[in-house]
Amino acid sequence: MSEEDSDYGDCSDDEMDDDDDDDVYGDYYKHEEVEMENKKDDPEYFEFQLLKVEDVDRLLNENVEALSRAINVTPSLAKVLLHSHKWSVQDVIDLHKKDSLKLLVDSRVLPSVKCTERVLSRNFICSVCMQPSLADALCGVSCGHRFCRECWQMHFQVQIQNGVSTELECMGKDCNVLMPEDFVLSIVTNPRLRDKYQEYGFQDHVKSHPELRFCPGPNCPVVIRAPVDKAKRVVCDQCKTCFCFHCGLEYHAPTGCETIKRWLTKCADDSETANYISAHTKDCPKCNVCIEKNGGCNHMQCAKCKHDFCWMCLGDWKNHGSEYYECSRYKENPNIANESAHAQAREALKKYLFYFERWENHAKSLKLEEQAMKKIRARIEEKVMDSSGTWIDWQYLLDSAMLLKKCRYTLQYTYPYAYYLEKGSRKELFEYQQATLEAEVENLSWKVERAEITDRGVRVG
Amino acid sequence: MANIATARIKREFKEVVKSEEVAKCNIKLELKNDSFTELRGEIAGPPDTPYEGGNFILDIQIPATYPFNPPVVKFVTKIWHPNISSVTGAVCLDILKDQWWVTSVFDYICLSFQALLAAPEPDDPQDAVVANQYKESKDEFKNTARHWTYAYAGRPTASAEYDSKVEQLKNMGFDEHKARVALSTKHWIVEQAMEHILS
Ligand SMILES: [Zn+2]
Ligand SMILES: [Zn+2]
Ligand SMILES: [Zn+2]
Ligand SMILES: [Zn+2]
Ligand SMILES: [Zn+2]
Ligand SMILES: [Zn+2]
Repeated sequence: MSEEDSDYGDCSDDEMDDDDDDDVYGDYYKHEEVEMENKKDDPEYFEFQLLKVEDVDRLLNENVEALSRAINVTPSLAKVLLHSHKWSVQDVIDLHKKDSLKLLVDSRVLPSVKCTERVLSRNFICSVCMQPSLADALCGVSCGHRFCRECWQMHFQVQIQNGVSTELECMGKDCNVLMPEDFVLSIVTNPRLRDKYQEYGFQDHVKSHPELRFCPGPNCPVVIRAPVDKAKRVVCDQCKTCFCFHCGLEYHAPTGCETIKRWLTKCADDSETANYISAHTKDCPKCNVCIEKNGGCNHMQCAKCKHDFCWMCLGDWKNHGSEYYECSRYKENPNIANESAHAQAREALKKYLFYFERWENHAKSLKLEEQAMKKIRARIEEKVMDSSGTWIDWQYLLDSAMLLKKCRYTLQYTYPYAYYLEKGSRKELFEYQQATLEAEVENLSWKVERAEITDRGVRVG
Repeated sequence: MANIATARIKREFKEVVKSEEVAKCNIKLELKNDSFTELRGEIAGPPDTPYEGGNFILDIQIPATYPFNPPVVKFVTKIWHPNISSVTGAVCLDILKDQWWVTSVFDYICLSFQALLAAPEPDDPQDAVVANQYKESKDEFKNTARHWTYAYAGRPTASAEYDSKVEQLKNMGFDEHKARVALSTKHWIVEQAMEHILS
């Protein structure tokens, strides 16, 4: 196996080198990748692997075979045991050594109380369909419950159609014994149903495996494997989805998994209230001319009166230097506890809208900057073709734009965190840092946007 | 597979005649046709609940996949209950969903429906208006449910106050049931109920 792995690795490296020769951007991407590799000291660095379905099957089967050999059970039962023990072969072996009966009962392989009804004493009648049957036509598993094949088959069919696979249970009264795969497959003959059963089983197994995650990208078959389960950034190389390994939502540092879930639910619930904010135009606070925001930067300059102002709060930009940057901080009414319930509700809404507006604005700016990025790329390509500087000379601009994107993304996700932070020194410190980043980002954004304009001027002149 | 369903229902009916449990349960079940796919049920409101003294008619459909899927039950009698739609009578029931194939239709109706009438589950509501009222004002809910039991399920006594309010709206030309729904929804405040109907 390991030989195969290393061959595979070499091969993909060669392919990349080839790409470099005919792709102008290859250099850039490679540059970024190499940087990522070396950044083990980057606090956001996270080790993970991208697996195909076959890789996952192989990985799971290796575990199943190892356990099956170690404690001498069928592979089907080994699968049930591993599924209920986070796929740790060693844990199951240890528990088996300590008390094998307890392990089997806890994992619902054996019943806690064995069926006392004797099949023969029930006159060969299947108690589900109440049809007479030959005794040897009735079947079942370890718990002793026996039903006719037709009933098992209907039971499995209905359950599998509901998406149930690893959780298929016995039909006996109060019996929760799980149906091992070999028994299910000996009953279910319809090939489509068998496929569905195995597909759902695969999904259940990936979900119960602490090192594995499905890529949340639409219809993406990739499975991510990481040695530790942390709320870290994972990027799928097939569909380019960037997500949090722990919860599968869009990557959301510094906000935690639970908090971001709460925030997103809140935003969805309050979407109507927040809708009115989604305006793309505002009026210049000085001369009232209507201004459309078409870049990511919040530092606006009115084309008509040249007034510099902030898109978020419409305040003078001069007050937005890093020391005075107050735009990201919500000032709560200190007296709110003594106000009426109505006023408190209004204040709560005001507070939410304040944070939501900033969250939403960064999301929009990110989109606008993505377009700007394309323009910058095209622009540099043109420059290089014109022999005014090499790709390397212009690299800095692309680097800044990339960094800007990263900062703005993080900045966007600081707002849900701040919204839920309790008042106090922790919040003050956080908001100070947030404000500093906010100021730096707008500064950089302003410069990146201008840089393009400036050299267009130079070229025309 | 419908033959399994039919064989089961036939057998259940045969066994039920002998069973004492069913007699205790205060339920009646009868076949609506010869195909064993539709049943009509009748349950008595449990004592010490707002449904006491009422008789509720149920419409029970036996799916072709019975007993691997549960019967589909609907209230024909209008009822004010968080887990039963006051409009369609549809029931959202998770009780026994996992293991119901070991029971019979009789047990299913007897155990889960009597329990549901005795102890609503407002956190898993079918009717959001009723569920909210149940959570926010238990007394108003009880009185309203009792009034509905009187109006639709044959409970002998009524609340004079609620009755006269329904009458008041009826005299103004509104449909009686619509008036009752609006009053039940709007805390029995006549003006708000009127607005509700007209909006
Ligand atoms: Zn059977
Ligand atoms: Zn069993
Ligand atoms: Zn993907
Ligand atoms: Zn997360
Ligand atoms: Zn202006
Ligand atoms: Zn501002």
